[in-house]
Amino acid sequence: MSTPVSIRPRGNPLSLGRLAQDIAREARAAQSEGIVADPLMPVGDSDAAERGVGRALVGPVGSLGTVLLSGPTAGGGPADLELHLARWGALAVDTATILDVLDSSEIDGRGGGGFPLRRKVDAARAAGHPLVIVNASESEPASRKDATLCTLRPHLVLDGAALVAKALGTSDVVVHMHRGSGMAGPLRAAIEQRKAAGFAAADSLSPDQSHTVVDPAWRLSEGPDRYVSGESSAVASSVEGGEARPYFTTSPLAVHGPSGRPTVVSNVETLAHLAVAVRLGGDVWRAFGSDDAPGTRLVTLTGAVAEPGLVVEASGPVTLGDLLQAGGLDHPPAAVLVGGFGGTWVDGADAWSTPFSRPGLSDVGAGPGCGMVGVLPPGACGLAETARIVAYLAGESAGQCGSCVSGLPRLAAALGDLARGRMRRRGVRKTASIADEIFGSGACGHPDAVVRLVRSALDVFAGDVEAHLDGGPCAGAELAPVFMVPGPRRIDSSGGGWK
Amino acid sequence: MSATIRIDPTRCRGHAICAVFFSSGIELDQWGYGKIIDVELQDERALKRARRAANACPNGALVVEEALA
Ligand code: SF4
Ligand code: SF4
Repeated sequence: MSTPVSIRPRGNPLSLGRLAQDIAREARAAQSEGIVADPLMPVGDSDAAERGVGRALVGPVGSLGTVLLSGPTAGGGPADLELHLARWGALAVDTATILDVLDSSEIDGRGGGGFPLRRKVDAARAAGHPLVIVNASESEPASRKDATLCTLRPHLVLDGAALVAKALGTSDVVVHMHRGSGMAGPLRAAIEQRKAAGFAAADSLSPDQSHTVVDPAWRLSEGPDRYVSGESSAVASSVEGGEARPYFTTSPLAVHGPSGRPTVVSNVETLAHLAVAVRLGGDVWRAFGSDDAPGTRLVTLTGAVAEPGLVVEASGPVTLGDLLQAGGLDHPPAAVLVGGFGGTWVDGADAWSTPFSRPGLSDVGAGPGCGMVGVLPPGACGLAETARIVAYLAGESAGQCGSCVSGLPRLAAALGDLARGRMRRRGVRKTASIADEIFGSGACGHPDAVVRLVRSALDVFAGDVEAHLDGGPCAGAELAPVFMVPGPRRIDSSGGGWK
Repeated sequence: MSATIRIDPTRCRGHAICAVFFSSGIELDQWGYGKIIDVELQDERALKRARRAANACPNGALVVEEALA
């Protein structure tokens, strides 16, 4: 690749925060040295130059162009407090500024929901005695970005949580993760470092006006490693000692959590972005992304890519093609699974030029979800892959809502039949009607996610559907799976296993 | 008037009693579970039927909410 790295953020560097200047300086240095190859991957071009916005950059931990993941590479281990403070500086901000930054940055939820953090904070501020839950329950089996962030950049996550706690005037923060996720160790170590450094010491000013960000009383909590247990109401329920299953809510958690307290549940990446945005300013933070997708975004590349499970950070006006290039592809694959196993298939050729932004993805029927981008190579059978994923997701129902319990296994069976070439045309129509019946019927979005996945498969793989109906399974259906789906797990019939 | 009806799908056991009391507002899916046709209750009549259905549900799965004034 011979195109030079463009320098971002643009604008007057004097108006930027310290770290932003660092990042700009690094980019300039790299440019003058002609470093455009590894570990930095300058990709894509599109109309970015015309719009005067920076070029799209996609890179792994520690590569140039990364923001959250800037600093040591993955091999360098976690950024400890000393390194974190040297890179980012201490937090010094009053409540009004935190709220301003939440406003100007429009940081959106990065766990899958995409809900603006500002709205949750506003709802919880209006009521009394809020609880903040840092959601580190990374449920998507192929996603690694939350684990990467908590393991390698734990202080950004904790900073973000401390900022939300300050904005809410609370000191109750719980960091919640799946049991056995490996995130507890690094997070606990980071909390110890902060305690030793006196982060929990308050000053005498009124908390709102003071620029000191006092660390809250951290609590770590773990719940069962189940797919639906990462959903916010399930997380809140688990934290409050209940089952890690979604429940039916009539008002938002930020207004009324399971114990009646306003409960803000926020994904770890979302919080890390807040920690950065407060330091750089909301506008500068936005400028790291594009008009349609403010800020940078963590993405897990999986499936038929050079290194499945590689987490990259994308900045600028990134397309799906840019991300695929970062995964080692030089031309469009057969199809791309976007947003997670509970995501959407996008045709490979369509995907290449699709902006990786909410509006861009929505034009092809998809959304960023948890940021997973999975590659289906030519020759593989998208229907067989979908069948395995749907079977897994059906087994992960929380077993509470009738149509989820009754409908998902039927969808899974139908997809299995289709993949094995045992379905007639009538069956396809019936499958679509089961999908319609299930949509919107659950207490959580789980059935809807499965329905979207199935609908997108029937659409993107329409040609394969015809072939399977006419002549049995394709050769690809016999191949080893591209997407590794966890094996079935047994929950005892008394309904245990959810705590 | 502003009132809504919702169904808690984690409680519904598919007794189908609700649909008898409020057939214009609740239908049953292919497995017999209740399904709300329109969350907004259009008039007093609908509200009355919705309340009756909610009272009849043996699992307390129906939630009728009226906005104050
Ligand atoms: S829709 Fe399914 S996963 Fe969601 S709460 Fe109901 S049973 Fe559980
Ligand atoms: S009466 Fe209650 S349990 Fe029965 S179908 Fe209606 S809502 Fe469900």
